[in-house]
Amino acid sequence: MGGERLDYQFLDDQALIRLVAQAQTEALSALYDRYGRLVFSMALNTVGDHSLAEEITQDVYMRVWEKAHTYQAEYGKVVTWITSIARYRAIDVLRHQRARPEGHRAAWEDSSFVEGMNSGLVEEAVESLQQKQRIRQAIAQLPEGQRLALSMAFFQGYSHSEISAAINEPLGTVKTRIRLAMQKLREALYDEQVPSREI
Amino acid sequence: MGLNEHVIDYLPAYALGCLDKDEAKLVRSHLQSCATCRGELSVYQSIVEELPFAAQEHRPPADLKTRILERIQQPESRGVGPRLRAWWDAVIQSYQRIAPAWGLASMVFVLALIVSNYYFWQQAAVAQNLAHDNLQVVALTGTETNPEARGMIVISRDGDHGTLVADGLPVLDEDHQYQLWLIRDGDRVSGGVFSVKEDGYVSMWVGAPDPLGSYSAFGITIEPAGGSPGPTGTKVLGGEL
Repeated sequence: MGGERLDYQFLDDQALIRLVAQAQTEALSALYDRYGRLVFSMALNTVGDHSLAEEITQDVYMRVWEKAHTYQAEYGKVVTWITSIARYRAIDVLRHQRARPEGHRAAWEDSSFVEGMNSGLVEEAVESLQQKQRIRQAIAQLPEGQRLALSMAFFQGYSHSEISAAINEPLGTVKTRIRLAMQKLREALYDEQVPSREI
Repeated sequence: MGLNEHVIDYLPAYALGCLDKDEAKLVRSHLQSCATCRGELSVYQSIVEELPFAAQEHRPPADLKTRILERIQQPESRGVGPRLRAWWDAVIQSYQRIAPAWGLASMVFVLALIVSNYYFWQQAAVAQNLAHDNLQVVALTGTETNPEARGMIVISRDGDHGTLVADGLPVLDEDHQYQLWLIRDGDRVSGGVFSVKEDGYVSMWVGAPDPLGSYSAFGITIEPAGGSPGPTGTKVLGGEL
């Protein structure tokens, strides 16, 4: 029983987060190896500045370190929890700056480029690859206007009104683009027809 | 938009967080009483959860990880750093206070349990949180049906949460799991559901709606997989604070 050094790359995310909650730095290190690039990418897509993106990534992992004990599996996957922290922190930093970086637009990854997750767990790594492929292909199918509106809403936290003002399009057009983009993603990802407005 | 209508068309934007404030407020209000729209919202929330994986990828600087790990080692990042010797002494002293009837053999067994997982204990936040003398350790003893089982719950200094360590529990079939119960004034709340490894060992973080130190006793029973609202099965371990 026990006594052997843990090989963290073979632990699943839930085990890692529990170990982080018990101040095991190697577990946090393993979570960084898995999702550090994802967090940094989200941050950079949001703020458009490398230094800020690095700070945000540090803040996110500090938060994971401090709040790991609050994570509850029934509320979602560990990666969802981490990316939510990242998204809100990045948008918060962006708003604090009080100005969006000139000319910066978040970008969606090319659907043909997929790099695997750094994990010893084959099943998780395969699932991660498939997940990336699915969402990237689904977004690649969207018209440009819908992709843009979606990226401004998701990465930069723009509201309908703010998107409308930023791209100089009518508010109704922006609302429709967001709604249609998400509905199309739903059909692509879950292979289901979207229900009508009135039920 | 009237409150009496379904708000399905607004849910994609609501899930993204990009509705303007007034619309968001109306949708939030509607969701409180509409299970249909809440169901639809959960689908769009799942989509939002996927979007990070479509972000254009950028490689972070090679030293970013090192900077993060250095930062968490700062004293203010999680309270004082681990004082292993003080922690170790405190565990032993507390154990002796609460379980004098166990005798030498039981003490040796539990110490062997701890030592054999020394690496885990060496790194545990339990060590950080229990670096002072007022820690609480609840010894768990096996029942008549499981006399070989042993365990302990180590409660953090602030009493907020703890760690369960147990050994000697038989591996259950796939339809059953163990469930930890936190007991106070005759009421029992679940402290978590778990399975053991092939060697009968488990370590698990324990949280509760109220501070862990506020419960007077702890028990572990065998329940249907996924757990039960209340204890229904055989008790295998128990202990009192």
